[in-house]
Amino acid sequence: MIEVQALYKSFTSGRGKVTALEGLSFKVAKGENFIVAGKSGSGKTTLLNCIGGLETPDRGAIRCGGVDIHRLSRKALARFQREQVGFVFQQGNLLSYLTVSENLALPLALNGIDADDRKRRVRELLETIGLPDHGAALPWELSGGETQRVAFARAIAHAPAILLADEPTASLDSATGAQLVQLMVSLSRQRRCTLLVASHDPEVIRTADHQLLLKDGRKES
Amino acid sequence: MKIGFILKMAVLYVWRSRRSTLVLGLMIIMAVAALVFLSSLAVGTNDAMIRNSVGLFSGHIVADNLPPDLDPAQLQRPGVREVLWRTRRPVRLRHQERVESVLLCEVRPSEEKAATALWKKTVSGRYLRDGRPELFLSGAVADLLHVSVGQTVEVEIPPGPQRVALSICGIYRTGISSLDYGIAFAAQNALPAAESNFSAAVFIEEGTDPQTLLAEYRRLPYASRFTAWMDFMPDLKQLVELNFVSMSIVMVLVFAVVALGISCAFIIFILKNIREHGILKAMGMLPSESVLLIVAEVTLLTLAASATGTGAGALAVGALARTGLDLTALTSHNQYFAVSGVIFPRLTPYSLWLPPALSLLFGLLAAVWPALYVVREKAAEILRSI
Repeated sequence: MIEVQALYKSFTSGRGKVTALEGLSFKVAKGENFIVAGKSGSGKTTLLNCIGGLETPDRGAIRCGGVDIHRLSRKALARFQREQVGFVFQQGNLLSYLTVSENLALPLALNGIDADDRKRRVRELLETIGLPDHGAALPWELSGGETQRVAFARAIAHAPAILLADEPTASLDSATGAQLVQLMVSLSRQRRCTLLVASHDPEVIRTADHQLLLKDGRKES
Repeated sequence: MKIGFILKMAVLYVWRSRRSTLVLGLMIIMAVAALVFLSSLAVGTNDAMIRNSVGLFSGHIVADNLPPDLDPAQLQRPGVREVLWRTRRPVRLRHQERVESVLLCEVRPSEEKAATALWKKTVSGRYLRDGRPELFLSGAVADLLHVSVGQTVEVEIPPGPQRVALSICGIYRTGISSLDYGIAFAAQNALPAAESNFSAAVFIEEGTDPQTLLAEYRRLPYASRFTAWMDFMPDLKQLVELNFVSMSIVMVLVFAVVALGISCAFIIFILKNIREHGILKAMGMLPSESVLLIVAEVTLLTLAASATGTGAGALAVGALARTGLDLTALTSHNQYFAVSGVIFPRLTPYSLWLPPALSLLFGLLAAVWPALYVVREKAAEILRSI
């Protein structure tokens, strides 16, 4: 399903050239729960950003369903992102001026789903994540755990084929993190969605079908 | 993504960014209201100069060489407030050994008093009365003849000459040389009837275009000469144009400074939201949709604030248009404010649409850089930059 081949990515900053990914290659099967583990600064986020089309690699290829996503036009890449990918960011990254319901409706609206269907699906999602009464709340009114649950629900709202989660439990306490991981794994399995999680949380790593350990942008054997 | 949903997002962003919206909105409201008011004041100043200059005596349009049997009512048109019938003939005024050649203007005093302000410039005695054998002289002519109110002056009317004695009922001073030198006034019927040189002064309502009226008059089948105030007072015409140009320059300068503030505030307003644009891009929002969202946010806020600002400016103009702005202390020695120094600001279509249009233009210009940034940068770069 996802094939990463000889991926290189470096950044230039005040500290000079920093290599984030160095010749990384691996495959993720469809419906798999794949964990990218590694310490902070090992290149996990960069890898997920490249797979999600948020970042362009310097070299190498990322094929999703046989298509090299970085050879797509800007419009085709946007279409791939809105249809095929769901992204759970480290801090949730909910849109601050939209309510929980409006945040959940966003990927549905991006995919052209009509208003009535959006309402129904948002209601279902709120039930699924256990926040049926939080639809009208604004993001700043939510706790950290609630924010990440809503971020996860938004990421799966349009039933994407690939779900990318970047350190989803990083800002949560262990109990809340464990709940979120359980929710993510069960729902992505239920929806036959390929789950790629970047994390150094042992609770998350334990759920993996397969894992890739990164160190300084390279696969650690 | 449907346009309706993008517009809804823009509305929600503007509505829920309360403090930013309020601050930026207030900036636009104040700028637009100030410009509406300033431009209306400029129009009001021009109106006041024209009203003063033509209202003192001449009228907006002067018709010379009219047929003697013409009824002044025939010159009435929509937008015409008053038509005053006058005759002019050259005469000599004699008092003892002193003689002064003047143009004697014979008028209908009661009508003149109702429509013009020359009588208000009386410094001694009083204005003419209908049918009375009296003379209304300027201070300058009275000085030349060494006469004062109550004394009699002999009027010699060529050819002949016929001689008529008229007593001086009043003396005036205007500060305007065309009215202070070489002219005197008498009531019609106080002298033998004139055979030619019939003229009329046409006073028009504010907002009526004198050139349109002039074109209509020039189509009349008389061998008469119709002249608008712009032609017989070219100095005033130039002053009005100068005032318009200088006010426009002031407005552009004021707005350039304000616009810089508005543009910076708009950039901050959009950049505050740039993380959200990065998230939307990561979710697959097309560049065109991102641009539309930014443009919609700017347009919504500008339109709402501009409409409020225009309303506020119009209200201020409306309030001051009733009482007027009394600048008599600053204009009392100015010939263009010879009658009154009160300025009544007036709204024009130009003063109503230009300030909101400028604020929308500057708002949209301010949106160009953030929009280009969102379109060009990768989503990860936008999210990293915050």
